[in-house]
Amino acid sequence: MSDHNDVHLEPTPGERFSKFLKRSDVRETLAWAAFYTAVFVVLGAYFYPKWMPTVMSTDMKAIERLMVVFTFISAPVCGFVMSIFTQTLRHRHKGDTPPPDGPAIRNNRLATSVFAGVSSLLCLTAIVYGLVELNSSAEAATKDAPNALVVEVTGNQWVWSFNYPSLGVESNMLNLPIDRPVIFRITSADVNHSFWPVQLGVKADANHLATTLAQTTPIKLGAIDVKCAELCGLYHAYMETSGEVMTVSDFNNWVTAQGGHSA
Amino acid sequence: MTNTKRAASAILSTLLGIAVVGAVGITLHSLSGDHRPNLVATKEADTITVDGKNYPKASLTMGVYADAEQAAADGYDFKASGNKKDYVQYGPSTHLVLPAHTYVTMTIHSYDGGEKLNNAYFGKIVGTVGGTANVDGVDVSSVAPDQVQHTFTIHGLPTTSQDPLFVNIPLQHVEEGDDGFLPTKDPGTNFKGHTVTFSFITGGKGEYVFNCEYPCGDGTYAKFGNAMSAYGYMSGKVTVA
Repeated sequence: MSDHNDVHLEPTPGERFSKFLKRSDVRETLAWAAFYTAVFVVLGAYFYPKWMPTVMSTDMKAIERLMVVFTFISAPVCGFVMSIFTQTLRHRHKGDTPPPDGPAIRNNRLATSVFAGVSSLLCLTAIVYGLVELNSSAEAATKDAPNALVVEVTGNQWVWSFNYPSLGVESNMLNLPIDRPVIFRITSADVNHSFWPVQLGVKADANHLATTLAQTTPIKLGAIDVKCAELCGLYHAYMETSGEVMTVSDFNNWVTAQGGHSA
Repeated sequence: MTNTKRAASAILSTLLGIAVVGAVGITLHSLSGDHRPNLVATKEADTITVDGKNYPKASLTMGVYADAEQAAADGYDFKASGNKKDYVQYGPSTHLVLPAHTYVTMTIHSYDGGEKLNNAYFGKIVGTVGGTANVDGVDVSSVAPDQVQHTFTIHGLPTTSQDPLFVNIPLQHVEEGDDGFLPTKDPGTNFKGHTVTFSFITGGKGEYVFNCEYPCGDGTYAKFGNAMSAYGYMSGKVTVA
């Protein structure tokens, strides 16, 4: 009998994959990955919103939603990385003489395809979701613009000042009425700053000789921390001020006390 | 290598790393410390009632000088405060110590010329009792943005652990004549600059800073170079104790 009659059929990719999944180390790795993914999903759904600043505006709400969704999307990736890390630690070599490296894995189309496909899918989902959120925010800004309260924000080394041109008020504090859209017209009187009212979910550059627009709607009463998010010199660390989202009547009282007139 | 040796090496390396990082941190902290003398407000015997509340009184006097010559004429040797450069600066120190829950009256003698504020908001007097300051005997609530030489602006971090304190005082500039600075309109003083007096009420204990909002440094960084970029010249610390 010639050698031609000894037919050894190569296993199909499906058979190889099935065999691969039956390996105990692969099953352990997948179990760890599932565990870590679940942990990150719980972190994203439950703990992450607790660690974020208080949600006090429509934009901050959208940002929190976006961060939670992105955490969900990235949870499997992080789960697999942590799983490999755990398995590496569990099965590490003990002793002074390490074994030689295993053979390099090349030309595994299935592995390459799964890796590229899943990564692309996760990235595309994140991009599309992000663009949809961005568009929603832009649409709301256009719709609300006629009713919006305009606040001119000026960054100076190292104090913020806020001008309410329609109310005749200038202040070093950012006070806003609840449920009314606000348009920030942001600039700088000197170097570059970054206007960051944390709980409102707005962060925009304050550049000299340029005006940047940002818009949001405060939806919750409470204190606002306004920080500078751009290293701007000697007292950058002290370039913070406070503010408050107030009821409409409280806001009008504050405006009157400042010598301005109610909207 | 035995397991004991391996563990000992790991522990030793970790301790050595901690020691190096700690030494660097302690050295940097020591170098960045504020060694300037405190300028402590003088407590006064009498009290004052503002908005139905009674406050003890304290006062503090300082100056802002265009150069060492002006400072010397006012009896202030700027090198004694720890400053090495002959920049425009506040004196006799830039670390102010104020008593808590007190009606503080500050007097600032100011000798410098000026141009225009970057932001007209800092031409307004903010945070004082009555919303005014007294310039050479006249109460004012603002100074024209193009007539300001410097500002004395106190601010701090908005935290729950200390009361807010924001005070902004624009200092009227001195008109320069052919023979130097013109004398003040106030015949009661011998200063050739302006004398600004204002009062504000401190809250509880806290750490704040003050700085000038008029860009009076050199030409770099939008005139925020030298005196404006170096700690202790046109900026300083305000401790409410």
